[in-house]
Amino acid sequence: MTDQITFPDIVSWAVPFFIAAILIELLWIVIKGRGGRYETRDALTSLIMGAGNVASGILLGFIAYGFFMALWATTPLDLGTSWWVIALCFVLDDLRYYWVHRFGHRIRWVWASHVNHHSSQHYNLTTALRQTWTGTFTFMMIVRAPLILLGFHPAMVLFCGGLNLIYQFWIHTEAIGRMPRWFEAVMNTPSHHRVHHGRNARYLDANYAGVFIVWDKMFGTFVPELEQEKPRYGLVHNLGTFNPIRVAFHEWVGIFRDATQPGLTWRDRLMYCIAPPGWSHDGSRDTSEEIKRKHLAHHPEDRGSPGFSATD
Amino acid sequence: MPLGILVPLVIAGIAGIAVLLHILGLSRPATLASEDAARTAWLDEFPDDPALRIVLSHDHTAALIETRDGHGIVWPMGADTTARYLTGARIERTTNGLRIDLPDYTAPRIRLRLAPDEAELWPHLMETPA
Repeated sequence: MTDQITFPDIVSWAVPFFIAAILIELLWIVIKGRGGRYETRDALTSLIMGAGNVASGILLGFIAYGFFMALWATTPLDLGTSWWVIALCFVLDDLRYYWVHRFGHRIRWVWASHVNHHSSQHYNLTTALRQTWTGTFTFMMIVRAPLILLGFHPAMVLFCGGLNLIYQFWIHTEAIGRMPRWFEAVMNTPSHHRVHHGRNARYLDANYAGVFIVWDKMFGTFVPELEQEKPRYGLVHNLGTFNPIRVAFHEWVGIFRDATQPGLTWRDRLMYCIAPPGWSHDGSRDTSEEIKRKHLAHHPEDRGSPGFSATD
Repeated sequence: MPLGILVPLVIAGIAGIAVLLHILGLSRPATLASEDAARTAWLDEFPDDPALRIVLSHDHTAALIETRDGHGIVWPMGADTTARYLTGARIERTTNGLRIDLPDYTAPRIRLRLAPDEAELWPHLMETPA
């Protein structure tokens, strides 16, 4: 079994490209007067979150890597490092990303880590870098276990994950409208991902894809961007601070405060940790389903249109 | 990439982009053009509890909202706005207006820039039963 395989740390090598692309998008917006918005403190917060994400990877990455190497030591399978194995690993890791991302929106414990990526009311290339500091604590590295056990080397799996992250950088923009029809059909694009970042009732819990939008189409979570309904970005309840520490940890603090309230059953405490965001023991808050139901109560004409069920 | 290159690159990149944005005039806070804009901004955060009364600050940077469930504030978050109820708020006068401390980890402190007469009046309005 091969243990000594190395792949380049492509995310850190992509940093100069990230900076250059942000400057190009910014200049495009300023010169053309369209294609998105920038604001100083919002962008600064996003960039600091990105730097913190890299730092947390350096500090805590050994936990996931140690877990993967322990799995690698137990599996009898080794698929090697030929190009088709890397390509297959990339596709399967993207399927893994789809499910981790979906869990990230449907399980509050995982949302606590992912929420900061959605906490900007802007949608530009700096938003792409507004990444979590606390991903290790979600334990979502478990979802990668099947790939390792099937014989994909951990270094290769992490390399493919890095490629996935770099792909997703360019789709965080309003400067690109629609890509060619064939590309929109298969790949995740700025249009598809704008929907994912929308806080409109129609767009909640949609388009979880990383690279290939086909996963959303296969699993019933695809919603197209509608010309008549521009996405409004941010959270259902937007933050009132740019402090990166609060951005990074606010949902964890929320879970702690909710789950330790006096007078709750143990089931309630557990549900505050793992139920979908917006769940509450007394029904005082709204989940995305409740937000959609309320929207349809006011706009019954939207029933059955993209993002809304025909029957609820 | 070696940390000796990555760290300076990240620091210079972040600082450079922030300075450039500021020089380009992209640090201006949002303003609320009218009471309707404040009403919409409030509804964006609390769609189930519409504003019954709105007091817009003279410079249009904040709005005091009265609703069925209590009082709230709409204020700028960069080029956008957000809103919170004033439940549990501690309110203090500052040289430029008011400072509101909330028991809310996601919005612990709101600094409102108000004219002296507004800074005098708003705390009383905030305490008036809705």
